[in-house]
Amino acid sequence: MADRYPIPKLSEEELVARLRTGDTAAMSVLYDMYSATLYGVVLQIVKVEEVAEDVLQEAFVKIWKSFDKYDASKGRLFTWMINICRNLAIDTIRSKQHRVSNTSEDITASFHFSSDEFKPEHIGVRDMMDNLNPEQKQVIDLMYFEGLTQSEIADTYNIPLGTVKTRARSAVKLLTRIFKGRA
Amino acid sequence: MHNEDYIASGILELYAAGGLTAPEREEVERRAASSPQIRQALDEACAAMESYAGMYAVRPRPALKDRIMLQIGHPAQPEDVASAETEGAPVRSLHSAGASEPSAYKWMLAASIALFLLSGLLSFHFYNKWQQAEERLAGVIASEQLLAQNYQNTSLRLQSQEETLAILRNPAFQPVRLQGVEAHPEAGMTVYWNPSQQQVYIDQVALPAPPPGKQYQLWALADGVPVDAGMIEYSDAQAGLQQMKAIAAAQAFAVTLEPTGGSKVPTLEQLTVMGKIEF
Repeated sequence: MADRYPIPKLSEEELVARLRTGDTAAMSVLYDMYSATLYGVVLQIVKVEEVAEDVLQEAFVKIWKSFDKYDASKGRLFTWMINICRNLAIDTIRSKQHRVSNTSEDITASFHFSSDEFKPEHIGVRDMMDNLNPEQKQVIDLMYFEGLTQSEIADTYNIPLGTVKTRARSAVKLLTRIFKGRA
Repeated sequence: MHNEDYIASGILELYAAGGLTAPEREEVERRAASSPQIRQALDEACAAMESYAGMYAVRPRPALKDRIMLQIGHPAQPEDVASAETEGAPVRSLHSAGASEPSAYKWMLAASIALFLLSGLLSFHFYNKWQQAEERLAGVIASEQLLAQNYQNTSLRLQSQEETLAILRNPAFQPVRLQGVEAHPEAGMTVYWNPSQQQVYIDQVALPAPPPGKQYQLWALADGVPVDAGMIEYSDAQAGLQQMKAIAAAQAFAVTLEPTGGSKVPTLEQLTVMGKIEF
């Protein structure tokens, strides 16, 4: 996670160890390191800034209070945190009875690269992103930003489940190749 | 499934993209925890998705960090910060923390209601018991009074029986058996007479029922002259002896039917029983 602002960085192990002791300063570091990415994802899901702020606040409080539940053997810290944020954000739009069919129509149109967070290292990545065809991108976006499962996508869009799996797998494989050695 | 096949199945990529259900995610996490090979492949896929997500990164307003850090640092009073800006989107855990105190009152209320109902039931139960005890006590008192009355009656009867027995056993008394005349062969009576003390008693009275306005009268015959010895109190169940008027001398006793209150001279046509004294 590169950033142009000077942020005190800690290794994930060190951060986890300090957070386990209830160190609020470590929480501040955690926020500085990951809030932009987490907020970006939440905003993609809920689409309204005020709602996204509330969700992010709720997510960080939850991360703080239930940090003892984080099991490092099961996955990376960021994976755990992004899952908390995504679950809260998806719960929020579903509790407000956002209809999947309404929002999914213009989902690709609503996606935007934030201009104020221009990152030089993403130059070139965008060119390579063209290799990600729209069908593959749609599948992983529906999963990641809409919270749909593979079978829900297959049912909603009349795509065979095997095709959904293949597209998701190809998209993530391609993203792995694109970002490898960059992040 | 071997680790290589599991990795090649594409399930790790579905996990990273968020396309799995919760049970499926737990299965992936379990396998990742048990196999470093799977864990590495999973981290790789997740990192790719996170880099992808990083392309949408947006720096939140600086005020948000203050809000969050304030809530984390002072979880006791988060209301003023949270509710002022977020317009009723409080964190759920705070709600549940605040709800724990009222729920204690709820429990106390429920417990006090339960105790109240229980004491009401117990009061009703003991009131019934008390009423039953009162009824039984009244019954016992009544039967005790009845018993005392019976005892008194029995004592009186015993007393009269003892008197009777004393008279019967006294050799000074002469029993005189009065036999029914021809008109009343079934009638009979016994007279006990103590000449020295001039006492007369009658017993075993078996006379026909007197018609209304009539009464039996006892006569003592002394030297052929009838002397009034008193009226016989007729009743169905004669318990003891009946004392009559004092008689000094007699050779026989007789009973006649006379108008109520008696006569001075016996009506001989109405002679019912008669008996001579055997010397």
